Amino acid sequence: MTNNQSSVVEREAVDEEPNPLGLDGIEFIEYATSKPQALGQVLERMGFRPIARHRSREVLLYRQGDINVIVNAHSSGSELPEQPVISAIALRVRDAAAAYQRALERGAWAIPARVEVMELNIPAIHGVGTSRIYFVDRYQEFSIYDVDFTPIPTVDQKPPAIAGIHFFGIVQYIGNDRTEDWTEFYAALFGFAVLPNAHRFGILPKGRILRSPCESFFVQLIEPEPGVLDIEDDECLQRIGLGAADVPVAIEALRGRGVEFFSSGGPERDARGALSRTVMGNVSFELVHNVRDSAPG
Amino acid sequence: MRQIEGDFDDFGMDTISLAGPLEAKLAAIRGAGFSQVMLAARDLVGHAQGWRAAVAAVKASGLRVTGFQVLRDFEGLSGHLHAYKVDIAKSMLEMCHALDCRLLLACSSTSVHASEDPQVLVRDLRKLAMLALPMRIKVAYEALSWGRTVNQFPQAWDLIAQADMPNLGLGFDAFHLLATNTPLHELELLEPDKIFLVQLADFMWNEIKSVEERIATARHFRVFPGEGVHSQDLAALTLKLHQLGYRGDYSFEVFNDDYQQMPLETVAQRARVSAAWLGEQVLRRSVPLPNRMRLKQPAR
Repeated sequence: MTNNQSSVVEREAVDEEPNPLGLDGIEFIEYATSKPQALGQVLERMGFRPIARHRSREVLLYRQGDINVIVNAHSSGSELPEQPVISAIALRVRDAAAAYQRALERGAWAIPARVEVMELNIPAIHGVGTSRIYFVDRYQEFSIYDVDFTPIPTVDQKPPAIAGIHFFGIVQYIGNDRTEDWTEFYAALFGFAVLPNAHRFGILPKGRILRSPCESFFVQLIEPEPGVLDIEDDECLQRIGLGAADVPVAIEALRGRGVEFFSSGGPERDARGALSRTVMGNVSFELVHNVRDSAPG
Repeated sequence: MRQIEGDFDDFGMDTISLAGPLEAKLAAIRGAGFSQVMLAARDLVGHAQGWRAAVAAVKASGLRVTGFQVLRDFEGLSGHLHAYKVDIAKSMLEMCHALDCRLLLACSSTSVHASEDPQVLVRDLRKLAMLALPMRIKVAYEALSWGRTVNQFPQAWDLIAQADMPNLGLGFDAFHLLATNTPLHELELLEPDKIFLVQLADFMWNEIKSVEERIATARHFRVFPGEGVHSQDLAALTLKLHQLGYRGDYSFEVFNDDYQQMPLETVAQRARVSAAWLGEQVLRRSVPLPNRMRLKQPAR
């Protein structure tokens, strides 16, 4: 009987389901830096609150609304850069082990786990540059932070988001002629789909936009300007995109907290999006007009 | 003053044509006026000071690395054999990446343990290309004329088209085309952008009668284009590729036992004559192309 079943798939090319991993958004974004306090200040101006510490490493968890940002200052052998880099994305999936296995079968590079006693072994694969992509399946009944992190006492564990800010996407800088390669990477391993060129968000419409199969976030791939000679391997996760239902209100609230934005081209442009000025050499945030269908729990 | 003559920046030598240590090979290739070199994995792992030192020597030479060869018998295996080959591929990709080389050459499997099922071969080729993708490496898949399932380039092309990976394309070795008398018009089915590498070699016999003789010729008796009896065919092939729109690199894939016992400079000079013939007489280039970067001589 099993033979018969497999032959149906072979003969009729049954498409894989559109969301093969049961992807369900981003669990956290991780920055690596040797200046965690300076980056912490930047994050706090953006409305994040430090809420928990890692049990064994120099790692802090920041949160606002349902966005989790991890600041990792734990150097494991290699020296950490002063300029913060986005070093990991954690994807929420139906089954982390299955997602990991599926990615490896398709040619992803595994990252060997370095787990301390009683810590969670979160499977990860190599992403762009030196970054990692984690698979997390514990985000509903209990969270990964319950195991690996200690809450900072007296701090609200669920700080509300400034102006309803939520996670929207991530911008990835890529090399010349690399758009097709990275599109294939995200499509084959996770089920991302290409958005039509006419479909753009915010004020920085360059490159190609990929939509997650759960339709809750986006990856934007940006090649260098034409004519730029790119010799170095400078592909990286460049910045986080945050969605806000009312961008001017969010800009106003964040300006009040000391965040500077690039001057816009007027209120109409402000309503679509904004880009914060780069700090610490490398850190900026993009605001994008985006109304969520359902309020996050 | 050294006169710049000829225009053959897109032609390169292959270390397998030369005897001696890596540094001597690189110096001979550079000395003959080439700007690129095709490296083999054993150039790195066989280096007396280890493969990292070999990488440093390549970078110091100022030569661009055309490609890195060769991953054998990757596709079609299952179970522990497949896992083993994935490890081999990863190791080669890591060396390739360390060289800032953007091309890995993989040739079609000769293994009797490999599946002949095209779906399995396509799946494995996709996986290989995916392994190479984050490192910005392209995979050139080449049909060995004694490959078990894939032994002519149209078959390799068919799998590449099915795999449909942006960084998977064709590695094209003219020797196999000439040795099996594949007609030139077969080239027309190729997309020039998906030809990732062209390797050129001539040989001395008019006809090759058996597979055994073909393997022996391929491994021991190749010569540079223009030195054998298939010069006109090679010229026609190069012109045809150019007309199709191929603008990638040409590498001289010349395995020759005699060259292994000649001074490196002599062999490199023969390669240069061959490159100049192809560049100037066959492709009829008279002046350097505008806006092509020229390498400076490395500091001594």
